[in-house]
Amino acid sequence: MKTPTKGPVFLRFLIVSLFVFYMLLPIVATYLFSLATRWDRSIMPEGYTWEAYQTAFNLSYFRITLKNSLILSIASCLVSFIIIVPTVYLTQINFRKFRPLLDLLMIIPFAIPTVVLALSYVRVYTFQPITRSPFLLIMATVVYTMPFMYRSVSNSVDAVDISVLTEASQSLGGDLWNTLTKVIMPNIYPGILSGMLLVFATVFADFTLAKLITGAHFKTFPMLLVEQTQIDGNVAAALSVISFTLAWGISMVLLWFSSKASKSKKAQPSDKAYIGK
Amino acid sequence: MAYLTLADISKNFNKNPAVEHFNLDVEKGKLVSFLGPSGCGKTTTLRMIAGFETPDSGVIELDGEDISNIPPNKRNIGMVFQSYALFPNMTVLDNICFGLRMHKMLKNQIVPKAREVLDLVRLSDTANRYPNQLSGGQQQRIALARALAIEPRVLLLDEPLSALDAEVRVVLRGEIRRIQTNLKITTIYVTHDQEEALSISDRVVVMNKAHIEQVGTPQEIYREPKTKFVATFIGTANEFHGSVCGKDSVKSAEFLIKTNNASLFADGDEVFALVRPEKIDVYSYKPENIDGNVLEGLVDTITFRGAETRLGIDIGEKVITADVPGKDVFSYGQRVWVAFDSNACQVLK
Repeated sequence: MKTPTKGPVFLRFLIVSLFVFYMLLPIVATYLFSLATRWDRSIMPEGYTWEAYQTAFNLSYFRITLKNSLILSIASCLVSFIIIVPTVYLTQINFRKFRPLLDLLMIIPFAIPTVVLALSYVRVYTFQPITRSPFLLIMATVVYTMPFMYRSVSNSVDAVDISVLTEASQSLGGDLWNTLTKVIMPNIYPGILSGMLLVFATVFADFTLAKLITGAHFKTFPMLLVEQTQIDGNVAAALSVISFTLAWGISMVLLWFSSKASKSKKAQPSDKAYIGK
Repeated sequence: MAYLTLADISKNFNKNPAVEHFNLDVEKGKLVSFLGPSGCGKTTTLRMIAGFETPDSGVIELDGEDISNIPPNKRNIGMVFQSYALFPNMTVLDNICFGLRMHKMLKNQIVPKAREVLDLVRLSDTANRYPNQLSGGQQQRIALARALAIEPRVLLLDEPLSALDAEVRVVLRGEIRRIQTNLKITTIYVTHDQEEALSISDRVVVMNKAHIEQVGTPQEIYREPKTKFVATFIGTANEFHGSVCGKDSVKSAEFLIKTNNASLFADGDEVFALVRPEKIDVYSYKPENIDGNVLEGLVDTITFRGAETRLGIDIGEKVITADVPGKDVFSYGQRVWVAFDSNACQVLK
């Protein structure tokens, strides 16, 4: 029987194609621009060269900014993980009535403009050694990306009956540490990974917080990229491609871990099979 | 001497009593069921024994030790949950080994012990499977094996069969009883299924509205209910509301019911006379020489139940339920006479 809501095949194909085109166009254009010799007089580039990449790799700040961004992103992921996972777990188990409050708090980073958040941190943390340090930047990026981590983890927690799993673990002698690490975390692993993925990608691409909090003290990859847009567009495009490829590669690794963690579910056998055994 | 004692336990949730003045002694190696309708406090009591809830007042003693304030992971009390609560990330064997590892069992003894309990529940071939690859009944048997592996001082079962098919329930409750009897493990079994409680237990605790209504053997609970709630909750009972009339009868608006059990009450006391359906004989003719109660009526409903047939007999103001042998044939609207002995009639306030 035909499903009336499906609509004509051509229309469905067109909608999906437009979406894919819309999403891929800027990426493909950036890739092509990073390889183009000249691309202002024709529809397609006039020629292709690796020169922009050679220039990008040879930039004096290339390695240090890349390293800084990686450190910042990984540290933000770890801090988010350490703060969010136990908080969500304990809220669910012991302080369930505070869950709406926590949900509300997690909207705040979306509501506050990044500039305001950055300047607030700079104004409040004026004492050494925190002021304008990478630690302060990590604190800010963790708050900024907290909703991503929180949402992913809390959705996973909601999908698993962690109260019963916790009680089962406790009845078998499991303490909080063993319950959390051996029972709960392996079951919310996909949520933790996707949360960390979002945090990593967001922090790696962040310009505003880094620029306003640490500035030149702790130069990050997006700061170098913005700098290059004013000097050489092709090099800036090459840096974008490098940034994008790196984030994509890390995403793939995390997704691979995630898919490995979630076991393929097989059809549940019938109880009839074992009656009378 | 009691092995597990619950002394004057009370628990409130948001000022609503969940359990009030609960007193119970459980002997070692016995299976005691908590039976009652939803919200009567049976699961809350079980959770207090497990340590997942703390009593507002009262003491829980296990083998002479006050365990009221000991955290659940230090009580060594095994629990089987309604939803199985197997760890989805672990294989069956790892699920069972988890508790043994938490109890710091020697490494070379863990797997043999886990396999031993798997044998006990007759599921040795599932050791390397994940919970989602097992049926509900198999999962519950693994949950039982996991709880038994740690050799708990008390085994708690929280409606373990309620998520299963009727056929599996009957098989599995027999399994639970077999294992419990073999291991002589003190067990508390929570259920709202009266048939399950009566068939599996050494003693039954009937609960209602946060209180214990009656504690007794399944036979005592069924044959000698102490309250009207127990009489009507366990099995089916025909009830006649009336007042005590003399030492041997209850006078309701319509009938005078002869009974040998009214002597405990004073003349005129408001009471209920209760008769079980299986205590009632149904005749298609007016029986002679019967020393008891005979009432005339018309067959209103007929429910064939295999070995027996349940009849609903309209006797005027009331429909009486009676169980007759399945081979007896009655038809709708047929004029019949119901008879029951004066000893079969229980009188309760």
